[in-house]
Amino acid sequence: MNSTSTNKPYITLDKISKSYSKGKKQVVVHDNFNLTINRGEFIAIMGPSGLGKSTLLHLIGGLDQPTSGNITVDNEQINNLSERKLTQWRSENIGFVFQSHHLLPVLNAKSNVELPLVLTPLNKKQRQQHAKLALKLVGMSDRAQHLPKELSGGQEQRVAIARAIVSDANILLCDEPTGNLDRGSANEILALLATLNKDFGKTIIMVTHDLNAADFATRTIHLEAYINQQSAINNEVTTS
Amino acid sequence: MSISIAINQALALSIINVKSFPHRINNYLVSIISIACVAAVILTVLTMTQGMIKTLAQSGHHNTLLVMRSGAVSELQSVMFPSEVNLLANHQQILRDKDNRPLYSAEMFVNAELSSQSNEHVPAKIEKLALRGISENTFYFRPDFKIVSGKKFKTGIRQLIIGRAISRRMPELMVGKTIKLGGTKWLISGVFSDNNSVFESEIWADLGMVQSDYQRGNSIQSLRLAIKEGTDIANLNQEWQIDPRLNVRTELEQVFFANQGENLTRLIRWVGFPVAIIMALGAIIAALNTMYSAIASRSKEIATHKAIGFSPFAILFSIISEALLIALIATMLAITPLYILFDGWTASTQNAATLSQLMFNFDISFTLICQTIALSSLIGFLGGLLPAIKAMTLPITVAIRD
Repeated sequence: MNSTSTNKPYITLDKISKSYSKGKKQVVVHDNFNLTINRGEFIAIMGPSGLGKSTLLHLIGGLDQPTSGNITVDNEQINNLSERKLTQWRSENIGFVFQSHHLLPVLNAKSNVELPLVLTPLNKKQRQQHAKLALKLVGMSDRAQHLPKELSGGQEQRVAIARAIVSDANILLCDEPTGNLDRGSANEILALLATLNKDFGKTIIMVTHDLNAADFATRTIHLEAYINQQSAINNEVTTS
Repeated sequence: MSISIAINQALALSIINVKSFPHRINNYLVSIISIACVAAVILTVLTMTQGMIKTLAQSGHHNTLLVMRSGAVSELQSVMFPSEVNLLANHQQILRDKDNRPLYSAEMFVNAELSSQSNEHVPAKIEKLALRGISENTFYFRPDFKIVSGKKFKTGIRQLIIGRAISRRMPELMVGKTIKLGGTKWLISGVFSDNNSVFESEIWADLGMVQSDYQRGNSIQSLRLAIKEGTDIANLNQEWQIDPRLNVRTELEQVFFANQGENLTRLIRWVGFPVAIIMALGAIIAALNTMYSAIASRSKEIATHKAIGFSPFAILFSIISEALLIALIATMLAITPLYILFDGWTASTQNAATLSQLMFNFDISFTLICQTIALSSLIGFLGGLLPAIKAMTLPITVAIRD
């Protein structure tokens, strides 16, 4: 698969730790975790449940804050931003695709896609044009007026992807986008993401259990092995 | 972020909530019914209070002095004698007519029992109505008086005229019909209006006939005096208070009716508003529950909005506007039937001061509707505020995973 990635670090997770309290217990999800992602990469993060794959996505997307460490995206340290600035940053830079698509049931496909554009200075006509274009890109033009309940699972996920790219966010964060789909639909979605990465230069970070994902991504991170490898390096550094 | 974008965000989410409203109407029913009940009670209390105040406020004139026996709180409790009337009417501050006669009206006021029986097998129904014995001078003090049907009563015979409010409420009391008041029969000669004042809830007849029928001799109960412009009422009152020949209290007629109105409406407010407040608390709790469960069921949707980049303010605004919409729908459900069925209806209540019925118009005005909407909206706002804050502060990551 072709890649539009550059070797310039675009997203950097530097010594990230993340823990949370569960009753009296402190649960450590990540400890001194490092990751560098280049612009234009399509990364598939795989691994068993409970390793903190989704947490990584939430941290990169500014939905959650690390306990310690720094997250830099395009030279901007996002973990120091205020909630208000972070919200705005997210709306300008990040597109989310969730496993359960989370489309609004009362809005048709076009209105669902148009929703993030309400956060921009575009007028109604411009918003509609952008939404139309995004739907065309994901091959859903003929379903623009359909409500989510009138679409198949794969079609719903395509609309969710259109919503994620409509405001021209550079980064797409996908949390199990094929988790609820059959094999055929899942492959279609993966191919679509690969196209967005290859032809439109989107940086895509995808958490998945889908074994086929590696065929579409430019880099696959098996999180368990990656963490072990990092621990070994850290230990080596400490010992020496 | 510019203000226009912030407003766009808030409106966009509110429109989505409005669009999804029909899908969730069943969940909102309890709240809608509770708020509708509160709105109905509030509107009824406000309309009744307003109707009574309006009726009583229109019943007095600023240059008319009402005189009653000292200690009497109403005309019904008062008694006065001709010697007192002469002394008071001939005071220098009392206006005189073109024949130099003092302008005064001596009146009797009794609580008459109207007995009506549709047929002999049914027990007679007794209604207590205010019967006022008046003289020709009385009409000077009632400049808005008009005969709307029939004619005035003739003096010296048992004829009477009935107020328009009574006529509306008891249409069977038609001109030409004979009715039984106390033990005697009276002919209805006409129906009168008086600018919707309290007098429209009365029956008027010749003073002499009422005195005779109710065995009051030549005593009267109240005296109305036309006073000259600029009269110092306090001084006049003091002068009459220290006169050993008099045992009276005086008050401007306008003030007297305003106080009576205050006493009447106070009772309604004391009973009506606490009931409304208790119901309102219930409605707030119902709205809180509804909105909390609405948010719980839509936590993923709200989290998605936040993840997309909608501001916490937009989320707060949309939830509150949803609660306000519930309140508005409920208020409309309460107001519409009340307006269709009761607007313009002549209602009656027991006037504690006269122990007779006081009729007033149940006019649901635009102002009262606005006040009811405002109060219901407050309930909606309070019911929506805490859930909205919860939605605003909802952790995205938790909601998306749940």
